[in-house]
Amino acid sequence: MGVRRRVGGFVLLVNPILCDGFGHCAELAPDLVHVDEWGYPIITTEPVALSNLAALESARYAVRGCPRQALRIERVHDAQ
Amino acid sequence: MIALTSPYLWYTTRATGLVTLVLFTLVVSLGTLVANRVGGTTVGRFELNELHRTIAAVACTFLAIHVLTTVVDSYVATGPFASVVPFVSSYKRLPVALGTIALDLMLAVWASSLLKARIANASWRFIHWFSWLAFAIAVVHALLAGTDARTGIGLVVVIVCVAAVAGAGAWRFMARPTRAAGRTALSPLGAEPESRPGRPTSPPRTDPTRAATSPRMSAPAPTRANAQPAPRRDAPAPAPDASPFPRRPRPGRSR
Repeated sequence: MGVRRRVGGFVLLVNPILCDGFGHCAELAPDLVHVDEWGYPIITTEPVALSNLAALESARYAVRGCPRQALRIERVHDAQ
Repeated sequence: MIALTSPYLWYTTRATGLVTLVLFTLVVSLGTLVANRVGGTTVGRFELNELHRTIAAVACTFLAIHVLTTVVDSYVATGPFASVVPFVSSYKRLPVALGTIALDLMLAVWASSLLKARIANASWRFIHWFSWLAFAIAVVHALLAGTDARTGIGLVVVIVCVAAVAGAGAWRFMARPTRAAGRTALSPLGAEPESRPGRPTSPPRTDPTRAATSPRMSAPAPTRANAQPAPRRDAPAPAPDASPFPRRPRPGRSR
């Protein structure tokens, strides 16, 4: 239990094998995810700073809300 | 132990049984909505999913109350293990056993959903199919063991619940949104694949490279493509830019 310094960033990654295009992630994290015309997510590849708590929370909601468990958050240490 | 012999536990069992049936009807119907990709305009798809999960938790709570009051109650002698082991109840052995089987199936569904992040998604989906079986068995349990389910309002409730879940199941089976076809048909964004007005990366019709290599456009036409000097016969192979398959800029897509 300690205060974790919010350095670095994260990226939201999708496993395209598992993804079935439910589109929940685009509703839960609209700043990070867009859907193409078939409903598959197109996720921004640029790391988002971990200090962006709103984006991090929305990404966590997207991971939790995915009906196929196709999303995960990966930390990137050299953000920006 | 006055409470154990009073009729209130028995009333609680009966009431929570019916409420549990109604709640699981809602859960199954909402799960069907999520699986068939309903929502996205007025109500979000994720909202239906959250509702499905939340009502499932409430339904499991009522199911737990239903089972606990049945076990604790001394009016019917079911025995301590009858809630999880089927066919050991001395009171109404087969009807109680059906409820036990439905409970065990629901426990499997519940546990797999709690462990969803740790198990394979295919396993979770397979176990989730048990919920249909559990609902069917639970309805039979309600009709055989239930005191109120065969007459009056109880019967109406059971019939409505069965009709709702049967309709949901039939719709789930007929719609069957598979990977590509169902998504294209049901996605609000990909209804017409031929006309994509807002597609920024698609090459326009007057793409010079495509017009120069298209067989239909072999005759000189007053397009911008022919405004540039035509390549001579002895010219070397055209530049890579003149490929018939123009490179489109790929959108930023994560692997």
